[in-house]
Amino acid sequence: MMRKHLREISVAGALLFLLLILLVRSPKFFDAANLRAVIVSDAPVIVAAIGMTLVILARQIDISIGSQFSICGMVAGLLAKQGVPTPVVALATLGTGALFGAINGALVAGLRIPSIVATLATMVTWREAMRWISEGQAVQNLPESFLWLGMSRPAGQALIVLSAFALLLLFAWGLRALPAGRAVYAVGSDAEAARLAGIRPPLVVFGVFVLMGVLTALSALLTAIQFRNVLPGEGAGLELKVIAACVVGGVAISGGRGTLPGALAGVLFLGTIGPALPFLGTQAYWEKALQGAIILIAVASDAINLRRRRDVGASLAH
Amino acid sequence: MSAQALPTDSYPRVRRIVLSHEGVLALLLVAELVVFSVIGRNFRSTDNALEIVRLGAEIGLLALALTPVIITGGIDLSVGSLMGLSAVLFGKLWRDAHFPLPVAMAATLAVGALAGLLNASLITRLRIPPLIVTLGSFSLFRGLAEGLTAGVDNFTNFPDAFLFLGQGYFFGAIPAQLPVFAAVALGYGLLLHRTGIGRGLYAIGHSPEGARHAGIPVERRVTLVYLLSGIVASFAAVLYVSHNGQAKADAGTGYELRAITAVVLGGTSIFGGRGTIAGTLIGLFAIVVLQQGLLLSDGPAELAGILVGVLLITAIAANRLVTALASRRTSKGV
Amino acid sequence: MRLGFWSLVLAAALLAGCDNKGGGASPGGGLTVAMMPKSKGNAYFIACKKGADEAAKELGVKLIWDGPTDPDPAGQNSIVDGWITRGVDVIAVAVENREGMSSVLKKARAKGIKVVTWDADSTPEARDVFVNQATPEGIAKTLVDHAARLLGGKGEYAIITASLTAGNMVEWQKAIAKYNAEKYPDLKMVALRPCDDKQKQAFDEANNILNSQKNCKLLMAICSPAVPGAAEAVEQSGRTDVKVIGLGLPNDNKVFVKKGITEAVVLWKTADLGYLAVQAAVAIHKGTLKPGDKTFTGGRLQNLELQGDNLLLGSPFTFDKTNIDNFDF
Repeated sequence: MMRKHLREISVAGALLFLLLILLVRSPKFFDAANLRAVIVSDAPVIVAAIGMTLVILARQIDISIGSQFSICGMVAGLLAKQGVPTPVVALATLGTGALFGAINGALVAGLRIPSIVATLATMVTWREAMRWISEGQAVQNLPESFLWLGMSRPAGQALIVLSAFALLLLFAWGLRALPAGRAVYAVGSDAEAARLAGIRPPLVVFGVFVLMGVLTALSALLTAIQFRNVLPGEGAGLELKVIAACVVGGVAISGGRGTLPGALAGVLFLGTIGPALPFLGTQAYWEKALQGAIILIAVASDAINLRRRRDVGASLAH
Repeated sequence: MSAQALPTDSYPRVRRIVLSHEGVLALLLVAELVVFSVIGRNFRSTDNALEIVRLGAEIGLLALALTPVIITGGIDLSVGSLMGLSAVLFGKLWRDAHFPLPVAMAATLAVGALAGLLNASLITRLRIPPLIVTLGSFSLFRGLAEGLTAGVDNFTNFPDAFLFLGQGYFFGAIPAQLPVFAAVALGYGLLLHRTGIGRGLYAIGHSPEGARHAGIPVERRVTLVYLLSGIVASFAAVLYVSHNGQAKADAGTGYELRAITAVVLGGTSIFGGRGTIAGTLIGLFAIVVLQQGLLLSDGPAELAGILVGVLLITAIAANRLVTALASRRTSKGV
Repeated sequence: MRLGFWSLVLAAALLAGCDNKGGGASPGGGLTVAMMPKSKGNAYFIACKKGADEAAKELGVKLIWDGPTDPDPAGQNSIVDGWITRGVDVIAVAVENREGMSSVLKKARAKGIKVVTWDADSTPEARDVFVNQATPEGIAKTLVDHAARLLGGKGEYAIITASLTAGNMVEWQKAIAKYNAEKYPDLKMVALRPCDDKQKQAFDEANNILNSQKNCKLLMAICSPAVPGAAEAVEQSGRTDVKVIGLGLPNDNKVFVKKGITEAVVLWKTADLGYLAVQAAVAIHKGTLKPGDKTFTGGRLQNLELQGDNLLLGSPFTFDKTNIDNFDF
């Protein structure tokens, strides 16, 4: 088991190592207020990473979730401002996400457009449509009943974090135990073999995009309830952040390999670097460079490991 | 031009041109030109025609460089970020290290080459999928640019002679960028369509193993395209700096996706093995003309973005439809 | 195949090449003023637009309002380029990067298009007149006096600015530093962080400052998205010893002012700034306003002062608990 989950364990190890350095150099990182801020800020990313893991496992990719996130956030904010009851707002937001996911799914599974191109097109279309309609304006002064879902801030924060972890456990279990879960792995490893085995790859692919949409919407909702304003373009860059986290966490871009705990480790690790920097005396603007270096090191080490085990027949293409 | 026989290959020549992806796109471009000539102010003018080229130059350079990369079945997401890093290094070498501008430029191109080599070695030696490698270098390069400038430093006050490259006009009318861009387009066109190296790239995109067995030095060729991609990206950065009169870490943000859009719109298959420089150029101009046309018609800039997204989907879906219909016809023996 | 294809391209180029200057519907002879904010999405600029629309209507000119959604100097450049090709009469722009716009604005002027800057200036030789909302000295004095009052004349404060390159931000910082040094030697600025005119980023920067500068008791946010952003950070951190002041819009800050987190919001009548910019633009085109004039009357704004080639809107105004409810923008 150690061998099989080598990547997940290495990332978890790297995270622990980072935390250890922080403990020694700057224990103030572990102040309740700071830890809380970090984990609450990571929670929506974890939710999105669940969806992205499913998509990548199925050998697809979705680079439109940033635009989806922005629009869902705006929808939630606008509805809340109109006085719509919070449960309805939540449903409407998730529904919007499902719709976007369905569009992506239809393009990829139905029209057979490669997922990177289809989601590139939807990303640009929705981002510009949003900019046009909103003119870059934020939705301001959200009602108190919407903020933290009407609860106190600590309760709201706990809810956000717990739901992220609960969803993670749920989906991790589902991937292992449910036939649908195994179907995702099957389609990602070899779609033709899966089809011959009775699975319907287009349906599975459609399904993972819809789930991605719903989870992205949830991620947007969990973020929107934290602040008084919803900003347009809030989600920009989310897709790359999440994909990087999944990849670092061992989800293979070629499909069929990877676990949700791995993605979680990836999110937590990459998500801790930014907040840790000021405490380590490094300037915050080195964050991206560090993350990029870590991504490269992670995948390089993975590849070196793989080379030792496999033959050199691997393709140069994606 | 394409590595596989298309069902339309037996069609008469004119029909093939019109039905091909590039043909449809060219018709679309003409349609755009006609529409905007009517509703746009000063659209149909030499001034505008030349401005359009200038607008598309930086992204166009990236699109040209990405075409062979994508034809080999790879991708390079790091070109936009490399622009940022190159811009910052260029500014720093000139302002802080007091290099003369030509030397700074050469050094910047050298860094671009190194960046390309970094991508290339991770892809060819370690066999890491290009998407992931360039995702990592995408972060790394932008991150280095931000780190070096603390996110905010900005290099300006370049001498007028340098600014001429991006802002000047030969004979008062021809943008200085035009000959530069045309030269690079010609270079890539020759490489891809007139040399054995170019043909080899299509073979690699179609099947790396097959290409290897056919005697093509796959790793060397792949390294070449990423190396060139790096150099062109840093050159685009120099052009960008001269165009905007400033060098900042955010140079080229989002350009990689815009360039990929132009390439794919132009008919290059994301899976590799198919595509042309001419197609990329048409895809590029279809996008730039759309943006400029909307601006001159006092239309919302965002509409351009929406239309490009829709266009991308339509182009690919239409292509599939045409190919599917054609194969049905030929299989029926018509 | 390629031959047929290139000929299509050539045909297209020829189509574009034949001259038809002024093709397309031309408006009935009125002026066209092209106006650009630093970013379309910023509430401050949206408030300015209201005044600009009012002036355009009053003067019977066509107003084109366009700009990048987020602050983007390259985007500003290419839009202005497009306007030059399109042919407009006056360009009025709030410049994101002072040096970056010079060439394109000079090009516009060389083609006979008048150029006016507003809110944030370009280099002086790139424009005819700068419509300034208040002098940097006036802004600095108001802000620093508030800071000194709240900190009791000594202590540490931090500044959150939009960007380190925007002309107005730079001018204000310099004026603040100068006035601070002259009047309140015991008052120290300990951090200066840019937020790219984004509220979330200002929120993050404010958090950083709160966490790393323990003795900083005042956040001075000199761009409008940063005032609520900083106040949000202070509120969420639970630190009641830290106050926020800044240059912002009343609507953005009402909640925080009432909660006592934001003590003073300083601004000017933004709609008037937009109104004045259009009035000045038209006047420059008509020749009724020239640099070197002493005063200017633009519509309902009468006898405004000109300092050289800077047209001044007036003095800054402070919104606080006592009066913020009277305003809605």
